[in-house]
Amino acid sequence: MKTILDVRNLSKRFEDTQVLNDITFQVGEGEFIAIMGPSGSGKSTLLYCISGMDRPTSGSVLFSGRDIAELDDEKMSEIRLNQMGFIFQHSYLLKNLSVRDNIVLPGFKSGKRPREEVNQDAHALMEKTGIANVAEYDIKKISGGQLQRAAICRALINRPDVLFGDEPTGALNSGASKEVMDIINKINGEGKTVILVTHDAKVAARADRVVFLMDGDIHDQLTLGKYDGSETESRREKRLSEWLEAQGF
Amino acid sequence: MFSACLAVVSAVMAVQTVTSISELYKTAQPPHFVQMHKGEIDLQEIDAFLSEQESVTFRQIVTMVDVDGGSLSVAGNGSAYDLSDCRLDIGLVKQNETRDLLLNSEHEKVVVHSGEMGIPVLLKEMYGMEIGDRVTLASNGVRKEFVIKEFILDAMMNSTMTSSTRILLSDEDFELLEGRIGENEYLIEAYFTDAKEAPDFQTVYENAGLPQNGQAVTYSIIFLLSALTDIITIFVLLLAGILLTAVSFISIRFTIMTALEEDLGEIGTMKAIGFPFHEIRVLYLQKYRVLALAGVITGYALAFLIGGIFSNHIRTTFGNTEMPALAMALSLAVAGLVFLLIDHYCKKVLKRIKRITVVDALVRGIRSDKGKGGVRDGLHRSRKLPVNWLMGIREVFHQFRNWAVVFTVVFIAVMMILVPVNLLNTFEAPEFITYMGSSLEDILIEVENGENLEVGYAKAKQILEQDGAVERYHEYRRVRARTANREGTLLNLHIDCGDNAGNELQYLSGRAPERENEIALSYLNAMETGKDAGDALILLFNGSVKEFVISGIYQDVTSGGYTAKSKYNFPGLASVKYTFSVDLIDPDIAEEKAAEWSALLGAGVTADPMEEFIGQTLGGVVKQLQTIVSATVMIGAFLAMLITVLFLKLRLARDMQEIAVLKAIGFSEKDVRKQYLIKAGCVSAVGILAWIFLTGVLGGRIVNGALSFAGLGIRRVELIADPVIGYIVCPLLLLALILFATRVVAGAIKKYDITSMINE
Repeated sequence: MKTILDVRNLSKRFEDTQVLNDITFQVGEGEFIAIMGPSGSGKSTLLYCISGMDRPTSGSVLFSGRDIAELDDEKMSEIRLNQMGFIFQHSYLLKNLSVRDNIVLPGFKSGKRPREEVNQDAHALMEKTGIANVAEYDIKKISGGQLQRAAICRALINRPDVLFGDEPTGALNSGASKEVMDIINKINGEGKTVILVTHDAKVAARADRVVFLMDGDIHDQLTLGKYDGSETESRREKRLSEWLEAQGF
Repeated sequence: MFSACLAVVSAVMAVQTVTSISELYKTAQPPHFVQMHKGEIDLQEIDAFLSEQESVTFRQIVTMVDVDGGSLSVAGNGSAYDLSDCRLDIGLVKQNETRDLLLNSEHEKVVVHSGEMGIPVLLKEMYGMEIGDRVTLASNGVRKEFVIKEFILDAMMNSTMTSSTRILLSDEDFELLEGRIGENEYLIEAYFTDAKEAPDFQTVYENAGLPQNGQAVTYSIIFLLSALTDIITIFVLLLAGILLTAVSFISIRFTIMTALEEDLGEIGTMKAIGFPFHEIRVLYLQKYRVLALAGVITGYALAFLIGGIFSNHIRTTFGNTEMPALAMALSLAVAGLVFLLIDHYCKKVLKRIKRITVVDALVRGIRSDKGKGGVRDGLHRSRKLPVNWLMGIREVFHQFRNWAVVFTVVFIAVMMILVPVNLLNTFEAPEFITYMGSSLEDILIEVENGENLEVGYAKAKQILEQDGAVERYHEYRRVRARTANREGTLLNLHIDCGDNAGNELQYLSGRAPERENEIALSYLNAMETGKDAGDALILLFNGSVKEFVISGIYQDVTSGGYTAKSKYNFPGLASVKYTFSVDLIDPDIAEEKAAEWSALLGAGVTADPMEEFIGQTLGGVVKQLQTIVSATVMIGAFLAMLITVLFLKLRLARDMQEIAVLKAIGFSEKDVRKQYLIKAGCVSAVGILAWIFLTGVLGGRIVNGALSFAGLGIRRVELIADPVIGYIVCPLLLLALILFATRVVAGAIKKYDITSMINE
């Protein structure tokens, strides 16, 4: 498996607090990684550093062989626009745009395809995630689950290489959470790399590999293997729970 | 603070102007009625007539020796020049005994000794003369040297808009020069118990067949011409003051809204623990009251500091007077009013606290201005427009309310800049003369009444006929007929007749006379007679009666504002004055030609290039306006920038999360900055365009309202905008300043960190 993300000796310090401490790990193309850990362990900070949204204090983050920690704002923005997709705990859609406009926006900004094609892609994504019926809606008028699906569509509109998620189901109820995770697994099944931060074992159980962070260090990693739906979720969850318990989580 | 400052400055100036003029008039005592006369005169006959008039309480005949500007040369401070380019008629006089006195800046009667001269402040301003400068008078073979001893305030002739000015000599020098250097001109002055009796007296005087081949001026015209410059200044300052108050209200609203938003949690907590609405409001109100009070006090102090710049003209023209108690009281009242207005407005805005519920504030974190219009689906339909433009324009047009502050401020700033700029331009434009009752031409020749009126007329006509440089000319003959006023009393009407009479003037109603039975009346005459366009007007002349139809009403400040125009030639009626308006083939040689003709035509006839005439007539107004305009332009531009900066800072704080999202999905800092520049630019452009669209209507109305209020005989002025300055330079400059401010503020985006903004 080809490495898409190579994190080497990454450290992050906020004034007097060392948040990440000399972290090294790799992510293969098409892999689904879940990052877990207790509050304050640095998992979100790690996600932001490896996705170029924050800069590490030291170390390097090689994304497709390029050290993104060294890139200026323009170049980093271009990578975020065309090669990375993000989903946050809250959808963070732009409130002045409709659902569909929010989704096509990065596609229009990228300008790599004709706008007509972007619109078609957006429609296809909405169909796939089941929100095509609310395409022209004001985002204030749709449910949390629909918002998060719209956020996924937006993250995928430029066909990114990696999809990053920071607690993407954190604000959803269990039903909506399951629907969103099904979509993410489907996307991963199509070959997209997924890296999520979560504290929810049910979500992490869908990942190929779980990285457990404690006090800014990678404490341990658990390989669960590809989630293909055939293995019952409860078995994966049980395995993960036992492992997490062993980590003291 | 600015608004308090400007409001106070205008109040102080208004009171100061009126009180300064009144103070000056109290000591100088200018006549209630003056009839100028040039040439032979029977002083005893006039004196006898005046003594017979019961209404006249005091009378005097002042002798003035007319000198040509060219015969006065000034040397001082390394420079030497003569006054040949002075359009004003210069007269040498001696000091009067008790009335119509020439005063110094301290309002004391000026006494000059032999060899000394008192120069009017008008000439001092025009030529930059200094005390101690040497003046040489050389005329008709007489040569005499003088030293400028004092600059004098001439209550009657202190405006460039009057046609004459007086230089004071000692009694000995005056006696020595009288009859040797120039023609005598007499000022027949009368005083009444009430200055309002002057117009009636004028009719009686004219009908008595007494000497009158010069201008007749009444007290009210003297007063108004003197104050015009300052009235305009006050008007511009008042306008700026009102607009600034509007801007300050916008700023207050903005500041309070920001504070409420920031303190949402605290407000919620206070409400939760049982603080009633009015107590929470008082907490905020006290803070804003203290700030408003500080602003008003600072503004008040500042007003007295900068007021000096604006009231300089008052001091120069009307002398130094103590700050009148009324000005102090009025300015205090104005400052107090500004404070009360701000206080009231704060209370109104703070009512929002009432609408914030504990749950909204603490649990949902809902802002006090929730619900900002709907969202329109449509971005996806765009095919070509770059995304940053798309985002910027969509927000401006769909969420205009969010940007209403910038729109309003730009609109007000453009108004603050363009109304004074256009007003200044109007005063500087040659067309302005047509608002004043004069037609627009290259050279104006006036043959004043005198014994040689007909000779002068014939001579002027001959020159014009023979001079190849003349493209065309129109001649007007002024006659005097009588008509009845509102009360039925007969009054004299000065009618300019000629083929072109009344053309090229600005009509308030109706049009220029076209047929021989038509007559156009000046605004003041229309008021006097109570007539309007279309009414019939009966004229009495040569013992006969003739009915005319009033074709239109025009505005006029010439000849005291009481004139009329007709195509009818009034055969058999004696001429009072002749005027030629001349257009040259090459207008550039107007000055040269006017000088040439002046020399040929001699005394009693003036030939003035129009541009110079306007320049000298309105020079004072223009100069004063320039100061005011620069100040308001700077204040306007500064305000637009200041409010834009304040607004954008708040906007950015509010948009922090949205900016973070944009950055997270791939927009660079440059993109986000560009979007703000587009938003600010579009809103400003809309504000500017809105103003330009309204400028013709509103700008003109504001100015006309003020002019009408001033009661000068000008009631309507269409602002003459310089399209390059008004529609290109000023708007672009303002736009550039706003974009610059936006760029500077939006630079802060660089410091925004996506992760902390997202997690806010």
